[in-house]
Amino acid sequence: MATPDELFCWEGDWGLPSVSTDCLVVLEISIISVGLKSQDQTTVEEKAYAQFAGAPLKLRKMSNPWRSPSGSLPALRIHQKETLSRPSDIIIHLRKQKYNADYDLSAKEGADSLAFISLMEEKLMPALIYVFWIEPKNYVDVTRRWYAEHMPFPLNFFLPGRMQRRQMEKLRLLRGDESLEAGEEVEKELYHDAVECMNLLSQRLGSQKFFFGDSPSSLDAYVFGHLAPILKSKLPNGKLQQHLKSLDNLTNFCTNILLLYFPRDGRENSNQKPLVQHDSGDFDHVPNKRRKQFLSALVALGAMVSYALLTGMVSIQHIQQEALEEPPDLQAIEEEGDG
Amino acid sequence: MSLAAEAFVSQIAAAEPWPENATLYQPLKEDQILLSDCASSLAVQAYLRMCGLPVQVVGRANAEYMSPSGKIPFIHVGKQVVSELGPIVQFTKAKGHSLSDGLDDVQRAEMKAYMELVNNMLLTAELYIQWCDNATAAEISRPRYSSPYSRPLSYILAYQKQWEVRRKMNAIGWGGKTLEQVYEDVSQCCQALSQRLGTQPYFFNKQPTELDALVFGHLFTILTTPLTNTELAERIKSYSNLLSFCRRIEQTYFEDKSS
Repeated sequence: MATPDELFCWEGDWGLPSVSTDCLVVLEISIISVGLKSQDQTTVEEKAYAQFAGAPLKLRKMSNPWRSPSGSLPALRIHQKETLSRPSDIIIHLRKQKYNADYDLSAKEGADSLAFISLMEEKLMPALIYVFWIEPKNYVDVTRRWYAEHMPFPLNFFLPGRMQRRQMEKLRLLRGDESLEAGEEVEKELYHDAVECMNLLSQRLGSQKFFFGDSPSSLDAYVFGHLAPILKSKLPNGKLQQHLKSLDNLTNFCTNILLLYFPRDGRENSNQKPLVQHDSGDFDHVPNKRRKQFLSALVALGAMVSYALLTGMVSIQHIQQEALEEPPDLQAIEEEGDG
Repeated sequence: MSLAAEAFVSQIAAAEPWPENATLYQPLKEDQILLSDCASSLAVQAYLRMCGLPVQVVGRANAEYMSPSGKIPFIHVGKQVVSELGPIVQFTKAKGHSLSDGLDDVQRAEMKAYMELVNNMLLTAELYIQWCDNATAAEISRPRYSSPYSRPLSYILAYQKQWEVRRKMNAIGWGGKTLEQVYEDVSQCCQALSQRLGTQPYFFNKQPTELDALVFGHLFTILTTPLTNTELAERIKSYSNLLSFCRRIEQTYFEDKSS
């Protein structure tokens, strides 16, 4: 059998299997439709895996986007060759492999889920970008800090900032407003849309367990992926979280999916919660020790070489001069030899 | 439109009835307007006709720059200027004209979701085809978009617009799509709309809503606008209930007034 496809995702925190919405959506859809084969496999996942014993996925959680084959997360590597990085492409690929999370839906339910996914992309996504990346206090205290603490050494200085600039650019283009900045007015408008979207989702869900009856579909994965980060993160500016918590059925829906499909992450968090902050210092040492040693050696070597070049060893010029002088001599010799 | 302004507008709006001289502004119909703008404008016209509110359509070369949000179309009613379908629906609602009052909560949620589906997929696909398909951009979009302006300015404005749309496409992950994938998305969207419509006359049975106006605006415009090839219209033509839906709205709301 061919090597299994590999799914690369951001690692999790706050009791979530991953911190990124896109990763959460892809993860949840793959679990529903394929069943993941991962180290932290759990009973439900095992069951799902047993049902679809065909070609399972291998899950790789990481906190370094540069180690993903596409340079961004999530990404799906197929047979060690091709790499897909857009969530929609990954889902279409899974669907082509007959792993369809919406297999049980009627055509009309399929249409409804497409519509509600669009609703979230238009109304909820801009607010999510704002909450995590643009709102100054949230960004500095939570988002940037999380990424800076989890990324390996040289990347943690510039990647979080670059990710923020990208999200800012995206939000500006989505809103068609070139000079958009964090501010009360923008915040109000975005939250207004997001709150309306949450209310609509809550009304649609009603008292059901999932959006279409008793079994989950890709719409459930999208809703979970968009709402769970708001629900679980501990942001200083938590207006959206407050509103979400007032919608009981959506809150229950999220915790339910966490319990059913990611019981490990939920449990880990509840045990580790007080430890996380103390540990973060030691945490960094262990996994990156080799790389840090290598990098510091590299930096030291670089410093020594540049010092040597700047002060004494000017041998480069000599070599260049020789190189320029040599060819005519050689030609002359050759001509002599011919003649 | 900002929320504060919105609240203010709806307060005033409630006080005044709909005037006779309401005007809808859009780019010049014959040689400037593009598919996506034409669709959005037609959607607003259909909505206002469904509400029974008279409006006079006026073409202006600089409509895009007159609009408060920079988007087409906008209406000028009494002392207020409101742009785009969403705010216009709220505006008319404040004046006591609404099409979606008869819906329950779940239906209203579904209506909003389907409206976003049209915006998210059909409108984006129209923009993609207009500006990211090189043949369409060179033959139709750039010349038409810049037709009111003279030589150096027309180039600058057209390429500026194209550049802006392409950046947006990249930001929302459509940048890497091929034309074929975009047609696929349009088919998927139409399939969903067709399923939802079923055999009903309108999306929520007997009464038209703003969703019907929006879907009509986009589908009718795609069906009647000549492009470099007919693939986009062909995709819609395979859904017969959507075709008869367009014909029904055209006959009910547009033909009796023009004849």
